[in-house]
Amino acid sequence: MEELIAIPIIVIGLPWLILHYVTRWKTAATITTDDESLLEDLYSLAKRLDERMDTVERLVASDNADFKPARIQHDKEVDNLPLRELEELLAEKKGERS
Amino acid sequence: MNTPRTTLYRDKHNAKLLGVCSGIADYTGVNAIWIRLGLIAATISMGWPLLAYIVMGVLLNKKPPHLYSADPKEDQYWQRVRQNPKRTAREIRAQMKDVDRRLASVESFYVSSNPRLTSEIERLR
Repeated sequence: MEELIAIPIIVIGLPWLILHYVTRWKTAATITTDDESLLEDLYSLAKRLDERMDTVERLVASDNADFKPARIQHDKEVDNLPLRELEELLAEKKGERS
Repeated sequence: MNTPRTTLYRDKHNAKLLGVCSGIADYTGVNAIWIRLGLIAATISMGWPLLAYIVMGVLLNKKPPHLYSADPKEDQYWQRVRQNPKRTAREIRAQMKDVDRRLASVESFYVSSNPRLTSEIERLR
């Protein structure tokens, strides 16, 4: 009697459950190939623009002492990371000397 | 559908066995050690996750080499895209606006103070 219940559950129920969630998952993921390439382009574009803007700001600041690049967020992770590396290098050098 | 950046792969490069756990870690951004520990705990308590692991190890493709990037920030970016593409779009817009604002401040600095013109006038005096 138990086999009569157990076998249909394994043969029909389990694949049904899996396929049900697979189709759910496939319809939920709405990002297409075009979206993906667009996001890839946007990522590199934003990064490049940001770097160029940094360069321009630095050039203007070196020519004119009274120009201060305005920052909405004064400590951004993107800018802090290279600074932290520099600090680590400096600390290493100090350790070597002493 | 062919979306190479948002598919689950086996990350054979950082693999311990088949690369399923490291693939999930690479997909979600969760550290691989937690996924491995979770899998081991689930296998000990239930048993069938090991079967699921082997099935996934057979079914999933290896991560193609051109998708490995040297910059960990890019991996992070794609993990955030997989979690919520709309949020990523908003973030990109915010970045573009930030660049626009900075460019505007440089422009207004040159337009309002015009340092070259003042230096020319100084020279003529």
